[in-house]
Amino acid sequence: MESKRQLQKENTRRRIMEAAYQVYSAQGFTAATAAIAKEAGISHGAVFVHFPTLNELLTCLTQDFADRLGLELHELTEKSGDMEALLKSHLDILSRYEDFYIRLITEKSLLPEDAQTILAGLQTTAAYHFSQVLDREIKNRTVKAIPSHMAFNTWLGLVHYYLQNKDSFSPEGPLLLRYGPELTSTFLNLIQF
Amino acid sequence: MKTCIACGMPMKEAADFAGGDPEKDYCVYCARPDGTMQSFEEKKAGMTEFIVRTQGFDEKAAAKQAEDAMRMLPAWKEYFER
Repeated sequence: MESKRQLQKENTRRRIMEAAYQVYSAQGFTAATAAIAKEAGISHGAVFVHFPTLNELLTCLTQDFADRLGLELHELTEKSGDMEALLKSHLDILSRYEDFYIRLITEKSLLPEDAQTILAGLQTTAAYHFSQVLDREIKNRTVKAIPSHMAFNTWLGLVHYYLQNKDSFSPEGPLLLRYGPELTSTFLNLIQF
Repeated sequence: MKTCIACGMPMKEAADFAGGDPEKDYCVYCARPDGTMQSFEEKKAGMTEFIVRTQGFDEKAAAKQAEDAMRMLPAWKEYFER
């Protein structure tokens, strides 16, 4: 019986996390917890049984997101042979979480300190995989000898600029689906011989 | 799936683990050449250097990020409780 109760508890917790992900993606991190409860189909008080503080909910949600994204990044580098495949896969992953990712990069200051640390770690993970492929391509002389940090920051800066200004670039639909190929080919043109 | 207790990296393949041993709780990047796990100071210095090299951060900011990240990992729990 205890395990069934435990399972129910875990299911409710997961439902709250999913609902929070949807609500924050659509409304940003200032959204009310009542909206999350409504989306999850539970009482407002039940949210706080599982997450006693808002900071705890935000930190758990960011950790869960970082774990998923980190694992996908890890897997893609193992498979990806070259820079083109890496960039395409990076955007492919981000596009699946586009609305939530935009909130993370534009509303970072609204997150608790632990969640900001998790987010910073996520970019370090991306930088790690990027540098692995870049170093290999520089050695093979298929890419110019650009310092790793400048190549990564140029790529991330480009992608984030478009995401941060989605309302101007792609107000009515997914941004990375529309601009991903152009961003990728432009960046490759800049770094390749 | 296991994640490295010292840096948080997911470990799926045997090659991800220290010494290629899936029984280990830490990854290949957190092991010294003799297979033992790096110390707190070694790991912090390594992570800081890595962040500076791959992201270009200011060294102090990179060291802070490294320490903040280590604070959340099981391998260094005791260090922060001191």
